[in-house]
Parts: sequence; C-alpha cells; structure tokens
Amino acid sequence: MSTLNVLMKAPGAGFETDDDFESINELYREKGWSDGLPVVPPSAERVARMLDYCDRPWDEPVGLVAPRYGAATPLRLAANAVMAGCRPEYFPVVMTAIEALCAEEFNLYGVNATTHPCTTLLIVNGSVAKELRMNSGHNAFGPGNQANATIGRAVRLAMLNVGGANPGAGDMATFGSPAKYTFCAAENEDASPWEPLHVELGFARDVSTVTVFGAEGQHNVNDHESITGAGLLKTMAGVVATTGANNLYYDGPPALVFGPEHAATIAQDGYSKADVKKYIFEHGRVPLGALSEENIERRLRQWPVFKNEFVEAGPERLIPVMKSPDNAYVIVLGGAGKHSAYIPTFGATRPVTRPLKRRDGQLARSVEDFRKP
Amino acid sequence: MAELRKRGLITAVIYSGPFLKLGKAQARTFGVPELPLLEITHPLGGISLDEVRARAAQAAPQFADLVRKHIT
Repeated sequence: MSTLNVLMKAPGAGFETDDDFESINELYREKGWSDGLPVVPPSAERVARMLDYCDRPWDEPVGLVAPRYGAATPLRLAANAVMAGCRPEYFPVVMTAIEALCAEEFNLYGVNATTHPCTTLLIVNGSVAKELRMNSGHNAFGPGNQANATIGRAVRLAMLNVGGANPGAGDMATFGSPAKYTFCAAENEDASPWEPLHVELGFARDVSTVTVFGAEGQHNVNDHESITGAGLLKTMAGVVATTGANNLYYDGPPALVFGPEHAATIAQDGYSKADVKKYIFEHGRVPLGALSEENIERRLRQWPVFKNEFVEAGPERLIPVMKSPDNAYVIVLGGAGKHSAYIPTFGATRPVTRPLKRRDGQLARSVEDFRKP
Repeated sequence: MAELRKRGLITAVIYSGPFLKLGKAQARTFGVPELPLLEITHPLGGISLDEVRARAAQAAPQFADLVRKHIT
C-alpha cells in the first residue's frame, strides 16, 4: 500500500463518489469547497501525480493557514492544486507560496479576515518561472497562461479549504476583488534594466523565489507623454499619493510595478531601484488637508505609526505614503506599452520571499529537483 | 483571549452583527467554542463618539451579567 493510500484512510482525508465531473462539482459547490468556478476532481490518481513533485512527507505541514489555522500538508495542498488545474510541475511553487503566506510577518489572518479587498499577489523570480512557462510579459496579470492562472488559484483554494477564508465567515471583505481568484505572475527579468527582485533581496540569480504580497489589485499608471525618468516618476508619485489606500495609514510597503518601457526610460536617466524608491518616498505624499477632519483627528493625530508627528500639523503638511525611503518593492513586469502600476497593500502586512528549497535544505535550480527518485 | 479563557479568567469577545460567524469560527479554532460573544450594534467604525458610547453601554451590562454568573 502506498503512502498516499495510507494517508487517504485517515478520517476526513478522502471520500468515495462517482467519477463524474458534473456530480463531483455539484458536491463541491454544496460543500463550499470551490471558489465558484468548476474544479478538476481531485482523484487519488491526480493527487498522487501532483505529489510526484513533493520531496517532503505528505502529512508534514509547511505552515498553518489562517484564519482557521488549518495545517497546510502537501496532501491537502495537492488536492487544491489539482482542483485549480495545476500541472504537477507547478506544485513546488504552490508549496513555496503557501509557506511564505504562513510567515508571521505576512499577517495572513488580517489579510484574509479583513473587510479590505486585499488578496495574495505572488511574484515568481528565477529560472523556474521560465521552466514553467510563466507569463511575465503582455497581460501577465490577466488571463491566458496556465501557470499564472492556476498557481494563484491553487493558493486561493487552499485559503478557502484549508484556511477557512470563506466569504462572510473567515473572509469579511466588503467587496473582495476579482484578483482574489488568482493574482500571480513572473517578474520580467529579461526586460528589466535593474537587478531582479530576488537578487535585490540577497538571493543568487540562479535561485528561484516566490514573493507574496497582501495586495489590492493594481492601479494603472498611464504615461505616454513623459520622456524622462523624472517625468515618469512624477506620474507614479501622483498615483501613489492617494487617500483611502491603506499604505497611507500603515507602514507596510507597497509594490511599484514598472512596465519595461517605463523602466528603461527611468534607468536610462540614471535612476537605480534605490533612487526610484527614494523619489517616491519624497514625492508620493498626501497633504494633511486632503483628508477629512475626522480622519485627521482620529487617525493621523493619534495612530502609533505616525509617532505623534501630526499632532500640531496644519493642512499643508505632507504625509509620506512610504514610511521610509526604502519601504517599497520595485518590480518590472509586463509587455510593450507606456504603462506601469501601483499596487497598494493591506498595509498591516509585510511581503515575504521564500526560495524554492528542497526539504534537505538544498536550493532548487529546477522543479525537477523536487521529484522523488 | 483564548489563552486567558483556558486559564480560567472571565473573558468575552465583543462583536457587531456581521462578525458573528467569524467570532464563532475563531473560538472553535482556538479551542474555546464556548467563549462568550457579546453583541453590539453594527457598525463600530465610522460612527460618532456618542454612538461609540452607546455601543459601550450595550456591551457593559452583558459583561456584568457574565461576571455575575461566574461569581454566583
């Protein structure tokens, strides 16, 4: 008897039903085990194929998924990855993403249970992104790529089914967001004039990583007119400087996503990533007077994150969206076109990056490193 | 809160209507399914200070009852 067959005998681990797509999907809808879209039935055979790309014991959790704090075992995650439509070779990325989301500093409880519409944005760096043919170019945040679509969806299904982030119970989002179905892409490292995100964060270039954000959907930054780095950064700063987004009120870093054409112009004018962040820190500011009197009195003058900085401030005083010059993530992503994107976050969350790593501690250079011999 | 409850302290969570399911689910998650949940009128955010005081006035007698039951 295989390990999987043993695990499937555990109470609640599996059930027997007709092998029929329609009836299984009906059952899943009734049980609330879906995101609302049809799922691929997670048969034992399909789950076993997913687990071919897992080198840890299938009942050994990579973390606890809030708000239910369900154990994210490979077996459970594999079932959700099958349901999402993942190919088995995507599974190491799903596992790594979940591990990152369960890190304390990410605050998955807050991200999932809040009334805010935040979701989990996954950015993949390194060679694995190409190996899995992830989209980092045109429409990278949109439809059309199986890896982008299903890895993000697998993570969402795991949060629903393992974490209990069910609408109105474990997920209290006022609106939610279409980005909650899936929000996953690779950085366009080839088109970036700067070092990739994972290299900036201290990983070797040939290491692959997943970075997770507790993010809103992106807000577009359209600038077809500026032909200088300063001009483009001024436009980005204008979008960043908005009231109502949580990053104004909290100290969690937002993501600044530059389209390759904007990034090239900015870099050509001598701006490093650090310079970009410093510029947005200095110019992405909201005058106190743009906020309502109630907001000023109840939040700006009192919240600990502001350290009493605004107790005596007048309406012209500028509030930085980033709370320090390096408190943002710069990413290059997308295809041709004069667009960039500002991605605000839940604010009370910090992005987390995890490398794809075998259980024995070896950094993976390929998803094939996770296959059992 | 759950830890305090497990140590025998008198504890309760105050919630506004739409958050009842979340409160119950969290109480189960943390092993204190019987944790008292005291309801106040929704919402708690975006209301005047007088309305906040009214919410406190709703919660206070419920908590007093809880304490009374515990000591009698």
